[in-house]
Amino acid sequence: MLSFRQIKDKIFVGLVLAGTFAALFPLFHIICTVVIMGLPAILSRGLVFFTGTLSQGGIGPALYGTFMLAFLSSLIGLPVAFLVGLFVYEYPESKLGGFVKSLLQIMLEFPTILVGVFVMSIMVIPMGTYSALAGAFALAIIMIPYVAVYTAEAMHHIPTTYREASFSLGLSRVKSVFHVLVPMAKRGIMTGVLIAIAKVAGETAPLLFTAGGLYETYPQGVTSPVGAIPLLIYTLIQSPSPADHATAWGAALVLLLIFIGVFVPIRMSLKEVKM
Amino acid sequence: MKKVDSFKILTAPAVIFVFVLFAYMLFVYIYMSIPIFQWEGCGIYLTNIWHASEIPAEEYYGIAAAIWGSVYTSIIAVVIALPLALSYSIFVNDFAPPRIKNAVIVTSDVMAGLPTIIYGIWGAYVLVPFLRQWVMMPLYSTLSFIPLFSYPPVSGYSYLSAGVLLGIMVTPFASAIIREAYASIPHTYREAAYSLGLSRYEVTRIVAGMIRPAMVSGLLLAFGRAIGETVAVSLVIGNTFNMSISLFSPGYTISSLIANQFGNAFIYEHMTSALFAGGLALFVIGTAINMAGLLYLRRWKQNVKF
Amino acid sequence: MSNYAIETRNLKIAYGKKEVIKGVNFKIPEKIVFALMGPSGCGKSTLLRSFNRLLDLNKDARVSGEALLFGQNIYGENVDVMSVRREIGMVFQYPNPFPHLTIYENIAIGLRLNKIVQGREELDSRIKWALEKASLLDEVEDRLDDYPSALSGGQKQRLVIARVLAMKPKVLLLDEPTANVDPVGTKNIENLLMELKKEYTIVLVTHEPAQASRISDYVGFLYLGELVESGPTARIFENPKHELTDRYVRGILA
Repeated sequence: MLSFRQIKDKIFVGLVLAGTFAALFPLFHIICTVVIMGLPAILSRGLVFFTGTLSQGGIGPALYGTFMLAFLSSLIGLPVAFLVGLFVYEYPESKLGGFVKSLLQIMLEFPTILVGVFVMSIMVIPMGTYSALAGAFALAIIMIPYVAVYTAEAMHHIPTTYREASFSLGLSRVKSVFHVLVPMAKRGIMTGVLIAIAKVAGETAPLLFTAGGLYETYPQGVTSPVGAIPLLIYTLIQSPSPADHATAWGAALVLLLIFIGVFVPIRMSLKEVKM
Repeated sequence: MKKVDSFKILTAPAVIFVFVLFAYMLFVYIYMSIPIFQWEGCGIYLTNIWHASEIPAEEYYGIAAAIWGSVYTSIIAVVIALPLALSYSIFVNDFAPPRIKNAVIVTSDVMAGLPTIIYGIWGAYVLVPFLRQWVMMPLYSTLSFIPLFSYPPVSGYSYLSAGVLLGIMVTPFASAIIREAYASIPHTYREAAYSLGLSRYEVTRIVAGMIRPAMVSGLLLAFGRAIGETVAVSLVIGNTFNMSISLFSPGYTISSLIANQFGNAFIYEHMTSALFAGGLALFVIGTAINMAGLLYLRRWKQNVKF
Repeated sequence: MSNYAIETRNLKIAYGKKEVIKGVNFKIPEKIVFALMGPSGCGKSTLLRSFNRLLDLNKDARVSGEALLFGQNIYGENVDVMSVRREIGMVFQYPNPFPHLTIYENIAIGLRLNKIVQGREELDSRIKWALEKASLLDEVEDRLDDYPSALSGGQKQRLVIARVLAMKPKVLLLDEPTANVDPVGTKNIENLLMELKKEYTIVLVTHEPAQASRISDYVGFLYLGELVESGPTARIFENPKHELTDRYVRGILA
């Protein structure tokens, strides 16, 4: 015969298991749904799906645009983020250092749609056109706090003794940090870079009013509009055409595979990630 | 002689750039909102009217419905996220065997980083029909006398759908904070509690009580994420200027309002400014909530020395 | 030029409000081994670091008084901190050759970044010379491109010594260099120090009185941030003036 206390304990364990299941189950359902809905679309169209334009039933320009945006935003965001991260690491106790740290954390949580609207008003309107550059700049703003935080953390993980050793050789701060300590933290910094790229490659909201979207031809250059897979999906779901929906699911599968392909291997080699 | 630190010279421009960028962003939102405040004063935030017109004198915009929708869906999200995140944290720390534990944590981290548009497409195609058929219809047909359930679930696009989807999306963020806090309680307290002959439930309640501040900050940060989310929400909320407590009613959020209207807003004289005012509200609410969450977390980490 | 390699005048060091070195005065002649001994937490590592201006890395650390290197106050106004550090080499308690650099690169990095030598040939010969000086050349000559993780603790520590010697410093600071090294490695390092003192002034921090008595010429006994007693090693060990010193060298306090 179970006592009341034992019954309560059983219920508790059951609730914990149910809650954990409910927290994680959506991911499996999402993955299954995306595969079931997306795979037929891709298989029925074959290679054209990856290279063709939208009217040919493909997402070629969007795929190209996503890589282009990831590359351009890295070009803009990474140097800034890297230097900010090193600053935070070097001056953790200074007022400015603490301030920058808080700012980075706020930026990590900042609504991304606001970044898109901001970039539209400072770049798209003055330039008179949507552009890859504007989209990449918006993504760069989102990327900066991730890379900066990861850089500072990777540097923190270097034992103090190496820092002392490097300075004791009479090296300046610049030389110590850039030539000795950064190479030691290379792996951690690269991890942050990859996670940030995986993150921005999946962003939609910041591109809504910046990248413009381009699905019938391949992008012309950095100052003209580009498409991106997430943006394409967002547009296609709102279309009434079933063919568009099929394309959207196929594109979602591609996006999912890109994300999981980058994110999971990195995550498996790590203890902790910060999204 | 104070030597100039060349490291500072090298890194300061990047730091200044980020600062200026953020300050400029705030400035742009304030500056662009001014015309609408001049046009209609606080009405922009306090009324629920969306009257676009090609005759500027007839334009009037009040985004109270969107503000309400943002807050309401985010509250639903955290109400869902908290018990899930807490269960998850207890499971990971106390119940899971090592191999499962790692898989569970990785799963949660993947969910935190998953592109939001994927949640959006899944939400619109799978979650909304599911909730409509299995939750909204039964509740409406039996309990529609309660205001919460009084709106007929015609399409399924509603506050509830948006709130549930957001709840699923922000659970991993709350989970990460609560799990870490829960793990930081030294094992000795658990042993002490068990040694008193307490059951698992009672021990967990004691340990969970020790991390209450971390739960609050997890909630705040999850709320901050939820309120800023755009595309997934705009695909499931119905995008209608409603202002209702009824869970099944379609609505708007600030971010989905901007996503839907901003592209065409330049046609009208005042709409752009109205949307910037919405953005400003989101900017202020989001930043304030996130700052509170971060401060709470930081203070907890400093104060708690086990 | 002063006859003393290092001299301190009322040197005080504090971390925040906590004073860890409470005004010490001593003089270290050239080309000898000076051992700083004392129980853990007495401030000897902090004192040693102050000679290399490594405390600058710690925002809380405050240094007052004077520390003279060959008569020049290294905490003076116009001092180039980096050149002070180049003149004074530091070896740490935990053997810390840079793990991401090869044995060769570990020694080359200070020379290269400080632009001390020009050209590959000069670099090669300087590195060989330093390894030879550190009595490590025979053991690693055929694997200079390996990473230091393959070395034993004692070898790693001698690699660190080679890294320092390559810069041709005037003074060597060693912070319990054998604390993480096995007995054979310890013996090798002690022999090396006896050899090196012919050319360099060596300041050795140790928490083992036995080690101080084995290899030092002068010794200072530090207790709770105060220099209780200092003088020639034989005199301190055979005829300590202070009761604390007496108890410490007889192994009671440690």
